[in-house]
Amino acid sequence: MLDFFTIFSKGGIVLWCFQGTGVTESFTGPVNALIRSVILQERSGNNSYSHDALSLKYKLDNEFELVFVVGFQKILTLTYVDKFIDDVQLHFRDRYKNELEQKGALALLNSHFAFEDDFKMLLREAEESSKARGPTSMRSFNASLKSQKTVKSMIETKGGDKGKEQGGKKNKNAKKEGKEKAAEGRTAHNNLLKWSDWNGIRHIEITYLMYLILFPSTPAAEPVKGEKAKAPTSAQKTEENGNQGLTQEEIIQKKREEFIRKRMGAPVEKPSKSPKPVKEKPKGKEKRVWTLGGSSTKELDYSQSNGNGAHAAGDQGLDAQADPGDLLAVDYDVLFKMFLSPKKGAFGGMFGMLKGLVGSKSLSQEDMEPVLDKMRDHLIAKNVAAEIASQLCDSVAKKLEGKVMGTFTTVASTVKGALQDSLVQILQPKRRVDILRDVLEARSQRRPFVITFCGVNGVGKSTNLAKISFWLIENGFTVLIAACDTFRAGAVEQLRTHQRRLNSLHPPQDHGGRPIVQLYEKGYGKDAAGIAMEAIAYARNQAFDVVLVDTAGRMQDNTPLMTALAKLIAVNMPDLVLFVGEALVGNEAVDQLVKFNQALADHSMSDKPRLIDGIVLTKFDTIDDKVGAAISMTYITGQPIVFVGTGQTYNDLRSLNARAVVGALMKA
Amino acid sequence: MEDNRDVEAGENPFQPYLDALRKELEHQDPIFIIGIIISLAVVVISFVLLKYFLSSKTVQSAVLLVGLCDSGKTLLFSRLLSGKFKKTQTSITDSSAPYKAKNEKGSSWTLIDLPGHDSLRPQYVEKFKSAARAIVFVVDSAIFQKEVRDVAEFLYFLLTDSAVSRNVPYLIVACNKQDITMAKSAKLIQQQLEKEMNTLRVTRSAALGTQDGSAGSSVYLGKKGKDFEFSQLPMKVEFLECSARGSKGENGQADIGSLEKSLANL
Repeated sequence: MLDFFTIFSKGGIVLWCFQGTGVTESFTGPVNALIRSVILQERSGNNSYSHDALSLKYKLDNEFELVFVVGFQKILTLTYVDKFIDDVQLHFRDRYKNELEQKGALALLNSHFAFEDDFKMLLREAEESSKARGPTSMRSFNASLKSQKTVKSMIETKGGDKGKEQGGKKNKNAKKEGKEKAAEGRTAHNNLLKWSDWNGIRHIEITYLMYLILFPSTPAAEPVKGEKAKAPTSAQKTEENGNQGLTQEEIIQKKREEFIRKRMGAPVEKPSKSPKPVKEKPKGKEKRVWTLGGSSTKELDYSQSNGNGAHAAGDQGLDAQADPGDLLAVDYDVLFKMFLSPKKGAFGGMFGMLKGLVGSKSLSQEDMEPVLDKMRDHLIAKNVAAEIASQLCDSVAKKLEGKVMGTFTTVASTVKGALQDSLVQILQPKRRVDILRDVLEARSQRRPFVITFCGVNGVGKSTNLAKISFWLIENGFTVLIAACDTFRAGAVEQLRTHQRRLNSLHPPQDHGGRPIVQLYEKGYGKDAAGIAMEAIAYARNQAFDVVLVDTAGRMQDNTPLMTALAKLIAVNMPDLVLFVGEALVGNEAVDQLVKFNQALADHSMSDKPRLIDGIVLTKFDTIDDKVGAAISMTYITGQPIVFVGTGQTYNDLRSLNARAVVGALMKA
Repeated sequence: MEDNRDVEAGENPFQPYLDALRKELEHQDPIFIIGIIISLAVVVISFVLLKYFLSSKTVQSAVLLVGLCDSGKTLLFSRLLSGKFKKTQTSITDSSAPYKAKNEKGSSWTLIDLPGHDSLRPQYVEKFKSAARAIVFVVDSAIFQKEVRDVAEFLYFLLTDSAVSRNVPYLIVACNKQDITMAKSAKLIQQQLEKEMNTLRVTRSAALGTQDGSAGSSVYLGKKGKDFEFSQLPMKVEFLECSARGSKGENGQADIGSLEKSLANL
C-alpha cells in the first residue's frame, strides 16, 4: 500500500529506501519538495505534506540527525501510518545504534543498512492491526428493517407534528433492533438511507436527517442513558402518531391505560421509540466540570495557618520546616522557582539544577514547553503575528525533540539558538534577488522590465515607487511610470510631481536630451489593466528600461477590486509583482497576504498563476525593534523582502539585513 | 641625612605597607610563597593556552564543498570518501569527515559538505569560511546556461567575503555532471563566469545598503578598468571537469580523477 519509504541523514545521504511494488517513479523529487517546502520553511508543525498525487508523512530524529519519510497515494486513507513511522524509527535506532552514534559521515557512508526484513515485518504488523475491524457487510433485504415495516406506517398524514409515524407492533421490533445495531457502531443514519427508495417518505427522511444533524449523538451514543428518558417521551410521541389512526373511544382507552401505567410507575413495555423525538425532554443543565478546578475551597485558603500556599506542591515538605512567618532568602527562592520541577523532591531540586547544566541529556517536549511559551510571548510582543509565532515555535520544538545537549548548555540557550537559526533561515531569500542584474538582462533582450506595486490603502506604494525610480535612474536606467491608480484623487498629480523632481535631479541634458523619467497617465476613471498594457507597449516602442506600475490601494476583502488587480497582473504578466506592506501592521499582515495571493491565484486563467514575487516593507523607521512584521510576511508567502523603506526622502531605501533584524527581534 | 629623610618622606605613604608585607612574607614558610607563585603561573599559562585553543579553530584544515542546490556535492562527498554511489536528498545540515589525500605524504584533512539550498547557504558559509583552506565550488554543467546568474552570484559572494579574501584559500571550480551529453566544458563555463562577474561587479556595488547602515563588503574583484578574469584574483583558481555519477551509472566508478589529483596537490 505504501509507495515508498526512505531513511536519510540530514546531511543528505540516503541510508535505506524501499519502493513499493509496481512503483516506477523515483521518489527523490517528492522528497526534495517536502524538504524544501516544509522543513526548510519551518512549517514542520504538522507532519504531513501532499505533492501531486502523493501524500507524504515524515518524522525527524534529532538525536542521530535522521529523517524518515513515507509516501502513499493521496486517495488512500491509511490509518496506521503515524504509528508505523514511530515503530520503524525506534526499531532502526535500536538496531543501528553503534553506527549512528559515531560522529562524522564516514560511518554512514561505509555501513550497509540491511533493514528489509525488519521493515517488512513491521509493515505486516501495522497492516494487520489496521485490518482488525473489517468493513461490515450490507444486510440483505429480508434482514433489514424496511421489510418489516408496513406501508401504512410510512405514509405521512397531515398533522401538527411532522414526525415519523411508527405505528404498529412491527416497530417495536424494528426499534429494538435499531438500538442494538446502533450500539454496535452503526448509526441510525444507515437505516434511513434504505428508506430513501420510498418516494412517499422523502419528507420524513429530510426531517430525520435534520434531526440527526442537530442532535447527532442522541440515537447512537447514548443508547443506555437516553433510553429511560426517551421511553416515556417516545412512547408519548408514538402515541400521538398512532392516535390519528384510531377512533375516539380507542383514544380514550389508550389514554386511560397510560394514566394507569404512569401511576404504577412500571417500566415501559412498549418501547416503540421513534429514533427521532423532536421534542426531546431537555436534560436539564449539567454542572460544568473544570479540568483544573479543585474540588474543595480549602486549597484557596492562603492564611498563615495553612502555610505558604504560594509555593509549588513539591516543596511543601520544606515549607513545613520553615517558619511560615520568615521570609525566605531571595536567591534561594529564585533558585527554587527556576530549577525546581514539581516532581523532584526538595533536595533533589538543588542538584537537579546542576544536573541540568552538566552532562548530556536529551530534550523532551516538557523541557522545552516553558521556554517555548516564553519565546512565543516574546515574539508576539515584538509584533510577529500570533499564529505565525505559534507555528514557528511548534516547528522549532519538532526540530529539537530528542536532541542531545552538550555540556554546560541550558535548555533555554539551545532553544533560543535554534529559534534564531530558524528566523535567519526564514528571512534569507530563497532565490537570487538582484533587480539591477535582471533589468540588464531585460535590456539585452530589448524589452522593458515591468514592476507592479500592489497593497492595501495607505502603505506607501507611490512614495516607495518614487524612491525606487530614483535608485534606478541613479544607476543609469530610463524609467516609465504608469499611473494605474485611476481612483484616488490626486494620485496622478502626485506621480507627476515626483516625475518633475526626479527630472530636475537628473536633467535630460545629461542623458542625450531625453527625460530620464516619464509618466504615462490617462486621467481618472479608466480601466487600470488597459492603461498598464498601453504603457508597456509604449515603453517597448520607446526603449525604456523599466516600467513601474502604480495601482490603487485596496482592501483584501473587496472582491471586485481584487478581481480587477488580478486581471491587471494576469493580462500584463509583469516581471516582478511587489506587495507593499507597512512594518506597523500586526496580525493583519497574514490576512492581507493570504487574501492577495488567493485572489491572484483564483482569477488567473493559466495553470501557473503569477503570485506575489517580493515584498516591500515600508515605514521601517517608525518601529524601533518591533520588527516582527518582516517575519510574518516572509513566512506566509515564502518570498523575500526586496526593499525596505526607511523614510520619506528619495534616499531612504534599503535592502534587508537578515541578521540585524533577527538580532533586534531576539533582543530582550 | 636630609636626603635620606626626603627619600623616606617620599616613600612614607607606602613604606609602612611594604614593610608590613615584607615582614608577613618573611614570617611565612618560603614553600608557601613558592606555592602561591606557582599557582599564579599556572593560572596565567592556562589563560594563554585557552586563548590559543579557542583561536585555533581558525586554523585552516578543512576543504569545503560548496555550490548551488542539486549540483552534486553530497554525491561527490560520498565518492571522494568511500568511492561508493549513494542516493542523496537535499541536505539540511553539513556533513564532515576526515579525508586522506592520495599523495605521497598521505596528508589528511577534513572534507566538509555544505548544504546548497539558498536559505541555508549563507549561514553555513559564515560558519565554516574561516576554517577553509581550499574551496571546491561544484557547478552543474548540464543546466549551467539557465543558472549562470545564480552561480555567478554565489561565486561573487564567496570571493568578496572578507574572511575568504584574507585567507586566500585555493579555489577549485569542479564542473560536475559531465556524464550528461549536454554538459558544458570547463573552458566555456570559465568564460561565461568571467563575463557574468564583470557585470556583477557593477550591479553589486550599486546595490542598496542595508537598513542598519552596515555596508556590504568593499572588496573589488580583479583590476579596475579591465575585464574581469580569474587570473587577476589573489588566490589560485582552477577549473576542472568531473562526474560524480560516472559514465557507467550507479555501479561504475566516478570520474573524479582530476579532482583527486588537485586535492592531492594541496
